[in-house]
Amino acid sequence: MNTTKLNATRQLGLIANQELLASFASKRGLFVTSIFILIWTLLLFYPIRFSAEAMHNPDMGSMMMSLLGLVGLEPLKNWLLAEFAVYWVVALFLFPTFSLLIAADQMISERNRGGLRFLTLRCSRGQIYFGRFFGHLFIQGILLGLTLVITYLLLLVNNSQYWVDGLKIMPLMFLNILIATSPFVALMSFLSVVMKSVRMATLIALVILSFGGFLINYLAGFLPLLGTLNYWIPGIQLVQMAQTTPSIALLSLWSPLMQTIGFLFVGYVFFRKQEI
Amino acid sequence: MSALIECQALTKAYGDKQALKNINFELNAGQPIALVGPNGAGKSTLFSILSGYVAATSGEARILGYPVGSKELIGRIGALPQDALFDPNLTILQQLSFLARLQGFTRHGSIVEAERTLDLMQLSSIKNERITALSHGMKKRVAIAQALMGEPDLVLLDEPTAGLDPENARNIRKTVTELAGEVTFIVSSHNLAELERMCSQVLQLEQGELKALQAISGVARESSADKRVDYLTLRLMQKNLNVVDKISGLNSILKVDTKQEDEFIIHYDREQNPILDQDLLKLLAKEQVPYRQITQGQSLEDQLFMTQSR
Repeated sequence: MNTTKLNATRQLGLIANQELLASFASKRGLFVTSIFILIWTLLLFYPIRFSAEAMHNPDMGSMMMSLLGLVGLEPLKNWLLAEFAVYWVVALFLFPTFSLLIAADQMISERNRGGLRFLTLRCSRGQIYFGRFFGHLFIQGILLGLTLVITYLLLLVNNSQYWVDGLKIMPLMFLNILIATSPFVALMSFLSVVMKSVRMATLIALVILSFGGFLINYLAGFLPLLGTLNYWIPGIQLVQMAQTTPSIALLSLWSPLMQTIGFLFVGYVFFRKQEI
Repeated sequence: MSALIECQALTKAYGDKQALKNINFELNAGQPIALVGPNGAGKSTLFSILSGYVAATSGEARILGYPVGSKELIGRIGALPQDALFDPNLTILQQLSFLARLQGFTRHGSIVEAERTLDLMQLSSIKNERITALSHGMKKRVAIAQALMGEPDLVLLDEPTAGLDPENARNIRKTVTELAGEVTFIVSSHNLAELERMCSQVLQLEQGELKALQAISGVARESSADKRVDYLTLRLMQKNLNVVDKISGLNSILKVDTKQEDEFIIHYDREQNPILDQDLLKLLAKEQVPYRQITQGQSLEDQLFMTQSR
């Protein structure tokens, strides 16, 4: 039997899977992934290992604690697993940043070369749009999983007695960081629908993230109601999350979940009627 | 049974410019249908609406009884979009088999189907290449291969032979003709001679309006008020305007139009003389006028343009 019944979930999965394949096959994907691997290799084997060793060392520990206090991350000193404590802070900011680069071209190049036209006769626009989003979230999940496993191996090398604690905290960290990254991917889903070039989409995302808060606060000076728009700036809860443990940080996840749904919805409304 | 394509009051505007103006027609499944018209007539816009690439401003288009874009149409329409390119980073087989899987093929079945359509387009040898390694003609044939996957009911081909060498253009015409019994093709092209060979109906657009929808063979007869009028097209080996008077003297001749100095369109009363072609051959032999071709009816070009200008 060469055919199977058409199934919406299967088609969504196929689109997500193809996005994964196409992202890693593209020059852009390979470049961003190489940079990602390079940065994480450096981070894991130098800052994370060094910081973890320092936190375990009674002599250097006090200096490390004061340093953490200075940057507002004092609660990290309560972490039993020093490697994961440092990983937590770094990953919470690095994964969203990388997602801006790797997820910027969910539609743009393909729409510009007319390739989306090969898809629309075979599946719905919703499947294309959401499939691409899930594909990129899946990419983030793979990279996140890999770095977590490497950090766990580092923990085993340094403090093997915490192997059970390490296993317990990994799923929580995975869930937190993945959900914290999702509005960034969703923002890029939206921008890749409305922007005509990948560079412009990335630039606009950076402007929104860097200056959006300032602009909203400035405008809120005239109209206080506008202050609520701050809730739509992706990553607004990241600092707060970095200052707590993964189990407490779960309480902050309503914000990225709301943003993800919002960006995806708006992007889909545009994409549904877009000329391709 | 519902029509293959049904368009009702279909309109598309880009800002102030109306690309399609109140288009109404109904097409049934069958032999290939030609879509003709000058640049900017709205051919590609009509294709884009039927393929779901763009939405109509107003009106409705239905295919096989379903509104364009319905999930019921998935896998039942194939299309060759103008100037669409595949992903430069994946191989042809990877991309075609992925598209086949979206149409419902299993993993193994999708590879078999992709290879089948590539074989149909004589492209089996390049299945593991990337699109960037292919010539313009090959890219177009790959795009046609994707349109034929899964044996759709309707295939829309937008300028399938534009920019192709004669041999590849001929192969595409041959494929369309061979598959014509199983699939209904709508072919847009500026090459009227090509359409005449492949298609049995013509849909003519001009400045966004539907100008004609008629059978290609005997068009004028169908549309003419006088159903008895028929045509012969005569091409001589060399210029000879003197022969016109002699042809005009034959039984049943209504008029002889000079298309060029060596080509004439003869209007005659079919009922009065159903074998005018034989009389014409006798006349040419008697007058020792060498001819190149005698064709029943008019060429598509003449049907579309000369009839209207008369």
